[in-house]
Amino acid sequence: MSALHHGYHGLPGTFDETFGAAVAEGANAGRPELRRVIEALDRLSPDELGRLQALAEKALLDQGVTFSVYSDSRGTEKIFPFCLVPRVVPAADFARLERGVQQRLRALGAFLDDVYGEQRILAAGVIPRELVLGAAGYRPSLRGVKAPGGVRIHISGVDLIRDPSGTWRVLEDNLRTPSGVSYVVENRLLSKRILPRILDAARVHRVDHYPTRLAETLRSVSPVGESETTAVVLTPGPYNSAYFEHSFLARTMGLELVQAPDLFVDDEKVFVRTTRGPRRVHVIYRRTDEAFIDPDAFNPESVLGVRGLMRAYAAGNVALANAPGNGVADDKAVYAFVPDMIRFYLGEEPALEQVQTLVCARDDDRRYVVDHLGELVVKAVDEAGGYGMLMGPQSSAAERDEFRRRIEAEPRKYIAQHRIELSACPTWIADRKTVEPRRVDLRPYILTSPAGPWVLPGGLTRVALADGSYVVNSSQGGGSKDTWVLKEDRS
Amino acid sequence: MISRVADHAFWLGRYVERTEATARLLATTHNLALDAELEPAQCWRPVIVVAGEEAGFVARHAPEGKDDPSWPGWGDGELVEHFLTWDDVSGVSLHHSARAARWNARSIREVVSLEVWETTNELYLWLASDAAQREFREERYAFYKRVRSLTQLTLGLLRSTMLHDEPLDFIWLGVLLERVSQTARILDVQHHAFSTAARHHEVVETSLWLSLLRSLGGFEPFMKKQQGRVTPEGVAGFLIGEDRFPRSVAYCVKSAYDRLCAIRPESATDLPGGETLARLRALDVHLRGERGDLRDREHVHRLLTHVVDETHAICQGLGRELLGQG
Repeated sequence: MSALHHGYHGLPGTFDETFGAAVAEGANAGRPELRRVIEALDRLSPDELGRLQALAEKALLDQGVTFSVYSDSRGTEKIFPFCLVPRVVPAADFARLERGVQQRLRALGAFLDDVYGEQRILAAGVIPRELVLGAAGYRPSLRGVKAPGGVRIHISGVDLIRDPSGTWRVLEDNLRTPSGVSYVVENRLLSKRILPRILDAARVHRVDHYPTRLAETLRSVSPVGESETTAVVLTPGPYNSAYFEHSFLARTMGLELVQAPDLFVDDEKVFVRTTRGPRRVHVIYRRTDEAFIDPDAFNPESVLGVRGLMRAYAAGNVALANAPGNGVADDKAVYAFVPDMIRFYLGEEPALEQVQTLVCARDDDRRYVVDHLGELVVKAVDEAGGYGMLMGPQSSAAERDEFRRRIEAEPRKYIAQHRIELSACPTWIADRKTVEPRRVDLRPYILTSPAGPWVLPGGLTRVALADGSYVVNSSQGGGSKDTWVLKEDRS
Repeated sequence: MISRVADHAFWLGRYVERTEATARLLATTHNLALDAELEPAQCWRPVIVVAGEEAGFVARHAPEGKDDPSWPGWGDGELVEHFLTWDDVSGVSLHHSARAARWNARSIREVVSLEVWETTNELYLWLASDAAQREFREERYAFYKRVRSLTQLTLGLLRSTMLHDEPLDFIWLGVLLERVSQTARILDVQHHAFSTAARHHEVVETSLWLSLLRSLGGFEPFMKKQQGRVTPEGVAGFLIGEDRFPRSVAYCVKSAYDRLCAIRPESATDLPGGETLARLRALDVHLRGERGDLRDREHVHRLLTHVVDETHAICQGLGRELLGQG
């Protein structure tokens, strides 16, 4: 019987989540902080892990932890591929990340208040005015509207990667309706069920209190007292790909799951239609894209919307989580200026690195980008999920020509970054019955109440399952892992 | 409870019950057509009429021959069974009903139990499979049996795995009102057809009445109550008024009234639902009063028509007052 990591080799020039920066050929005992976990995992043989992995997959299907597949008219749902080998984050690593993410969220919150208020940062010339006011996510109609409780980014998921030195870098801030947290909770249930002794030996922070903290966060911004507050979860409906998560969160928070036609607005107050007549609603955790929440305010074609909702919001009678208009702050071009925001609003130096970004709206940057497409990753500022991007090193000449044309036509729409060698993590490869390095990112979830940001000690680790791939999105063949944030060592 | 959620609950109940009722009616008629000395059209046309699908059936299979009572389609059992099993043009086909039940369950997954969801899902996925097509072709009896077993399992799981509170009240209200309507329609249509067709032929007539009872799951209970005496008025009286038979019209109306009272008590005059409750109460009182001479065919027909119309109006009222439609 051989140990699980026997013969494992990291990727050259890549930080390994388990074995560290310098993965030498041959013997490597792994990162010292992870010693306990590595030893426990190494008591498993590849055969045993294969059997356990199959158990985990079966459990996910049975419980219906699935996402809908739009193209399948039979309405079947698929599971998000799951790798049982955990991604382990030592306490000190996570503490650094936590401090940095909290700082970032405070600055981004201040930025949104400012942009929809006085616009001091634009007056000071810290960020080009047209870059902000020209962003697709900027909503001029919201200027002057205050968010109930003073919070705009109640729920965020900040995507982080690690460079070859092991340094965390923010890749993007998801400040609108980030999804995936249900997998964090469900993945942990699987670890508990299938790897109980290893999890116990590792001493890992819990994540199952997320729904309770989310419910508290929602109540904390209510326009009325917490005990009289009715909060609901608004979903576009069962056809939505994240419907499982909407239903999961409603169930675990004990809140009603509503669809737009269940709500109506009267006298700038929101009500839900119940079998006992209308009932007032004070807080809405909306999982509907803001463009569709109110046909009067935004997309007039929307059938998913509630007419008059934005007027009720502007009147301060209902809190929306997250606040509409946040898209201006997680715009991929505005992202380049987040370190400047931190300095401007907080008077602090950024605690987290991010990825150096070329903004095509700037002439110098654009000239560099179009001349170096083969080395860069180009992204459309208003696309997500791995769509609308060019992976320079793997692209064809025709693809590069196409992007060159698009960038010259609409420079504001594009940014470019050098490809980072994302860190890798041992991952179960069923075909070869062994663990091999696969690239990962990390999305921690942050809840912000009037008291400030709180980071769930865990997060969604997404893994690019295909050999050599850098794309971790579930829509592009990515899977997930449970993320084990270790507690401080008892000394 | 959110009106839309109540609406999905109500329709989940109706569609599960409808699936079971349709499968039972098809299986019974299939059996009847094999041994009764009846014209095939006398067996099968009433089934289409009960389903309320005469127009849809004709439009599908004989668009030019409508209004022709001698059209052979009326006696084509295969055509009828196929139509009421697979054709989604029909709002009552097994495939359509099972899909609608699943859709309603999926829309309120945070409300129904895991077991209820799983069996509802299983029935629909099976009906959509090649295995179901094969079983339909090769072993019709087993096919209907499986549809009925899975729906009966769902009906049992609803009561044994869910909280007995408002969502279940709405689901069960749907089951009961669907059942009132099914029993009243089946009795009305068959009563009329049999009374004219089988006069003066006692053996055939008896087998027809027994088939009618079987299609409503009432054969054995009826025999226990009547000790083997089969008469048209006896069958009508049993299926309309027997207050210990769970598919009789009176039993289902009384139970539906009780469920609606749990949702919206008579005393809660400030809550919506008052008109519908009053209407349901009136129907219940009407059925428990003097039922008149059940040997009079016209009288039975009028009574059942009243039940079907009132049930329809009650469902509309529920939609308007409680389920957020309009």
